[in-house]
Amino acid sequence: MTFSLNEIEAMGKRAARGAGLPWGLAEEAGKATRWLTARGLPGAEQLAESLTRNDGADYRDLTPASADAVWQAPSGRLCPLVCGAALCDRAAEIAGGLEIATGPIAQPLLLAPFAAGAAKLTGLAIELSWAGLTMTVTPDGFRVDGDDMALTARSADGVRCRRAGRDVAGTPTGAPDRAIDAETWSRLDAFAQRTFAPATEASRLAGAGAGLTDTD
Amino acid sequence: MEATRQSQSTVEMRSPGTVMRLARLGSFHQCRLSFMRTLLRRMKRENWAFERPRFEIDEQGVGTAVYAVRGPERTYSLVCFGHDLPPEQRSDRVIAHAWDATFALFDGIPTRDDIERLSWNVPRQEAGRVSSREICLSRANRSVRLFEHAVDSLAAGRQPDRGQVEAVGYLMRTTAVYGSGKFGAADREAIAGRPEFAAPFQAEMLSVFLIRTFVLDLVEHLARCRAPETAVPFEPALRRRFGVGNSTGLGLAPFVVNHPVLFNNWIAARETALARVRSLPRTTPEQAAMFRAMLSRARINADEWRSEHSLQIQKLIMLKADLAHLEDHVAAGALDGHSPWDRLYIWAESNLSIEGQEQLVSLMLEPHGELVDALADHMGADEDAAFRIDGAMPLDRLAAILDETYGWALKIDWTSPDSLARVWYVSAEKLEPRLGERFEEPIEPYEQPLAPGRDAAILRRDLDRWEGDPTVAAFLLRHPEHRHIVRRAQITARFPYAEIRDNTISAALLPIDLLRCKLAFFGATHFDPRSDRWVRINMFQDAPFPHELSAADADDWAYPPLAAAAE
Repeated sequence: MTFSLNEIEAMGKRAARGAGLPWGLAEEAGKATRWLTARGLPGAEQLAESLTRNDGADYRDLTPASADAVWQAPSGRLCPLVCGAALCDRAAEIAGGLEIATGPIAQPLLLAPFAAGAAKLTGLAIELSWAGLTMTVTPDGFRVDGDDMALTARSADGVRCRRAGRDVAGTPTGAPDRAIDAETWSRLDAFAQRTFAPATEASRLAGAGAGLTDTD
Repeated sequence: MEATRQSQSTVEMRSPGTVMRLARLGSFHQCRLSFMRTLLRRMKRENWAFERPRFEIDEQGVGTAVYAVRGPERTYSLVCFGHDLPPEQRSDRVIAHAWDATFALFDGIPTRDDIERLSWNVPRQEAGRVSSREICLSRANRSVRLFEHAVDSLAAGRQPDRGQVEAVGYLMRTTAVYGSGKFGAADREAIAGRPEFAAPFQAEMLSVFLIRTFVLDLVEHLARCRAPETAVPFEPALRRRFGVGNSTGLGLAPFVVNHPVLFNNWIAARETALARVRSLPRTTPEQAAMFRAMLSRARINADEWRSEHSLQIQKLIMLKADLAHLEDHVAAGALDGHSPWDRLYIWAESNLSIEGQEQLVSLMLEPHGELVDALADHMGADEDAAFRIDGAMPLDRLAAILDETYGWALKIDWTSPDSLARVWYVSAEKLEPRLGERFEEPIEPYEQPLAPGRDAAILRRDLDRWEGDPTVAAFLLRHPEHRHIVRRAQITARFPYAEIRDNTISAALLPIDLLRCKLAFFGATHFDPRSDRWVRINMFQDAPFPHELSAADADDWAYPPLAAAAE
């Protein structure tokens, strides 16, 4: 089925919250899903994969233990949403020449929207590299060099992130692909449902503050 | 509209601490910058053309109609479906499943196939799907009181009873007007670049404006079907007295919290307008005369404004007294001399209720279209541009922002149950936003992030306890639960009117304050709360109809005409 970007973002946010992420990260997960989908990349699939894999995990175990050396998760594999947010938070340092290297990480493509956020904050292009592939990200677009089979890899042994060393003007933005397969959507929806309170007759009446019929 | 736009003002804008209180936001009135008025001014200026290419409705009101409007570059069509609704299914609640009429605003001119596709989906509303060719989706129910009376009267060759018309003010109420990509419709960004939709909610307002025309046409059509020999159309002046009702529950309330930059831009535009008018050194006789006329019309409006809600009844008593007081003050020469508008506003601060003060603000903008109207171009927003957190910000700067913009929240005793009494949550039922009692219902696990004051207070506490690197990036790596409120705080530092400066989960919260503020920006009148969380309004009452727009003043309808008082 085809969805609007607004619906895709809202679903991404609710699903991430339902999977246990705090609201602020869930908001960023929604934006990430939208950014990827708007550029023809499989944002919803990547998110569903990531949330399913980490369902029930303590997110502290998926977070970089330290931002000083190589970013490593206590559990052994980083969550790309948590890691992406931390990466975007370092935008100014990346612009100043900081290179970030991570240890094993799930769904590395989910880092791209956060790198785009850093690009937007700094006005620079940001480079992500993993598994023989380099993805150069600008606020609006991206370019992939190397093995683009690795783009949607389930995980990578490590990702390097740094400011791009060359001019990337004219980077294509990609065409949106808003068609999402029913299986992916229903996986996300199952997470999202966890954020909705079951309706009761009492909440139906009191919660919205109006009677059930209204004739005047 | 980042920072303040002061070039034409010597008087400062009102501070966010004054403006962004719920009691004041909940006393806002429509003004020149309201979205309905922006839309009609544009359609008039650009000479939009209107036609009704299809009206195939039977004597029960069942069928299809299409209204097309053509602007300078594009045509939009309201596709209307009339239904035969059993009375017991007529509910204004979002959980309803059927309506008297359903609508889609189509981008262009729909083909037969488009209308066929829409006929399978639009009547089902949330349960159907529309496409990116559709911009808005909405529905409406008849006013049982007035609809039948109007059809009956016209069929018998009479105009409906004026008293009954005034008591209700509309023939149908919309119960939702969805835009921005809801249920598969076009995303906001797909249309935001079009000049006609650059200002907020223009497509939604266009839908409602055309729905009003359909409803009046429908009533006249049903009267003709019922009695072809005797039926008459509405007399034109009475016809304009019908607006479109709207029934709005909690669904709207989270919007202004969830769109902080947009909300800032609405408030900043109105506050900029006020500062500009207050900065005028003198008033001209024409401006003074227009102000006095609008004041008289505002008094008629207050007299016509009915509510059975005790709070609104009190506010209306004060408003009427305020307007009488204001009229006396103006008659005694308040507009003479230097800086008349500034002096008038300062007088109001200590002589009028908040309801009266905000009515005065709206009235002061009326004679100053040349200073005010162009500000409507700055009321849209790109929330994404402010979304990313600045991780390099030092934590002492973040603490200073919190102390300055959330100082009100840091003073609240958050251990008191009354401070935390409410929970905003979303019901599984049609995803309806609801408000519940934290200490009485098992809903806390479902809480939505709509309590910035509480979140800011917790963040401030955790900042005091932090012993790591003094940057936002380092802090958030260990405290991801604060990302939401850190983002808001950083936005509010740049956009001073982005945040409501009151506790949105307090036992004392009146959600209708949030609803009224938003609806006033739409251009609604006659706010009639039906409870603390549900309000009825009227939209486009007294406005010209599309076929009248070329000959009429497009912006002289927001207050009732003076002539109405004489009748």
